[in-house]
Amino acid sequence: MLNFDWLKWVSLPAAKAVFLALFAVSGLLVLMIPKASILEGVENPRWWHNLKLWAFGVLAIIFTIYVIF
Amino acid sequence: MLSGIDYFVVIMYLVGILVLGLYFARFVRSADDFFLSGKSLPFWVIGMSIVATDISAMDFVGVSGQSYRFGIAVGSFDWLGSIPAMLLAAFIFVPYFWKAGLYTIPEYLGRRYNDGVRAVASMTWIIFFALDLGVLFWATAVMLEPLMGWDPWFSIIVTAIVVGLYTFLGGLTAEVMNDVVQMIVMFVGGATVVVVGLYHAGGWGGLTDKIAAMGEAYQNHFELIQPADTKTPFPWTGILFGLTLVMSNAYMIGNQAIVQRCLAARSVWHAKASMLCGAFFKMFIPMLVMFPGLIAVAMYPGIEDGDQAFPTLVKNLLPPGLRGLLFAGLLAGLMSTIDSILNSTATLWTKDVYQRFLKKDADDHHYLIVGRLATVILLIFGVLTSPLSKQFPGIYVAIQTFLSFFQGPAFSILLLGMFWPRATQWGGLVGLVGGISTSILLYIFKGRLFTIEAPFLYISWWSFVAGVLLNVAVSLATSPHPHERLAGLVYGLPKAPKSSCEAAVC
Repeated sequence: MLNFDWLKWVSLPAAKAVFLALFAVSGLLVLMIPKASILEGVENPRWWHNLKLWAFGVLAIIFTIYVIF
Repeated sequence: MLSGIDYFVVIMYLVGILVLGLYFARFVRSADDFFLSGKSLPFWVIGMSIVATDISAMDFVGVSGQSYRFGIAVGSFDWLGSIPAMLLAAFIFVPYFWKAGLYTIPEYLGRRYNDGVRAVASMTWIIFFALDLGVLFWATAVMLEPLMGWDPWFSIIVTAIVVGLYTFLGGLTAEVMNDVVQMIVMFVGGATVVVVGLYHAGGWGGLTDKIAAMGEAYQNHFELIQPADTKTPFPWTGILFGLTLVMSNAYMIGNQAIVQRCLAARSVWHAKASMLCGAFFKMFIPMLVMFPGLIAVAMYPGIEDGDQAFPTLVKNLLPPGLRGLLFAGLLAGLMSTIDSILNSTATLWTKDVYQRFLKKDADDHHYLIVGRLATVILLIFGVLTSPLSKQFPGIYVAIQTFLSFFQGPAFSILLLGMFWPRATQWGGLVGLVGGISTSILLYIFKGRLFTIEAPFLYISWWSFVAGVLLNVAVSLATSPHPHERLAGLVYGLPKAPKSSCEAAVC
């Protein structure tokens, strides 16, 4: 049990799908954050202050890396 | 060995770093300046500093060694081991910590649970950082000896003097400003090896073809996801449960050296943005630290000690001048990590132990002096204990082993403390101490309990589980904190009308 032997049956493509799903869920959670919270502490908001865009950019890159490899 | 031009590049780098650090010393007038840069830092400085802090010369040597032996699976430590955790830190934890006006993570634990939890967490971090410092110093010696022919003790002492001077005088501001320079030097130096190495290996196509032609033992070298029953230290189950769910979160959310930078941000938006900025730069780290190992597999197969892959590559492929540039990059990686450890440990000692338990009402200048003295004492301790690293088979694994002892339990109490109002002070204390004890027992009996080579990921996961279970069990058996006592400390509860620092236990 300590070695997760009970997950040996999971194929590598299925395991990869687990990680890709993790990135997708992370993106969805970021999407749900209220805008007021994202822009907290900004006096004159501009489009690039939207930290959701930053998060999506980072998630898109890591998603692509795990799709390829 | 380095040539004249290489020495020139290295010496210019060292002098530049020293001058820059000493320049920022003039802005340190109070303990607040020394520990938190007067809360004045912009996001991009912090983001670059986080990456420079996280990546050390040890990663160039250690991760290259791991990728030489096991392939690109080790890259997950920077990708999966950072990005999801940094998002969580940016949007949930860091804003909470920043708004609470914290200096340290154990300070939060003290307010949320009690002083016992704060003391245990703080002392554990102090001990870890002190041991980590010795490992890092030894990594320098391992790296410099074949390249420069320097005696290990000479290189350790040179590094200690330069870093010690600017950290002692300039505090966090000198560190983060030097980190910015050091990250750029590190990226340029690391990229030099990758570009020159790929050129000699016949480009990316040539590299993959050569490794694929080396037989069955190398078939998984380009697979990020390894089977659950792999004999390498990176089964996907360990990567998911141990790394992604526990160690990375514990590191990015609970590591004082990382979070302290965000606490010094000039606004809550800058604090959040700094984590995301750092996440962006972290994406490129595996290319710098992992590719050299792969290139060495293709060009120099049969190296017995994986940690020698990177030095071998540098020695054989880089021409004079570029070798000095790379060497400056390695020094930058080492120094940026050491300076962070020094200042963070000084902060932990001064704020969580000295100011809390030994001398409560001294003036600000007194704590500034204590912080500086702690820096010097830790530096001397790190230098003297550095040869202990020889007892462990791989530098990188040694660090992960130290981390796995308490990262899981520390994260378990942080997580429950932030999201579960019912967690009590005794639950937190038992969860932390019991979780650390569990990880030590698992490590002692790892030969009987685990089937993979270095089970630090599994130890981390199971000690986290033990920490959660113990915390929940003991919390349910003890009296809960009143909600007004938890205001501003638990996610979802309304903030207290007064600062949470005015809570009874603060």
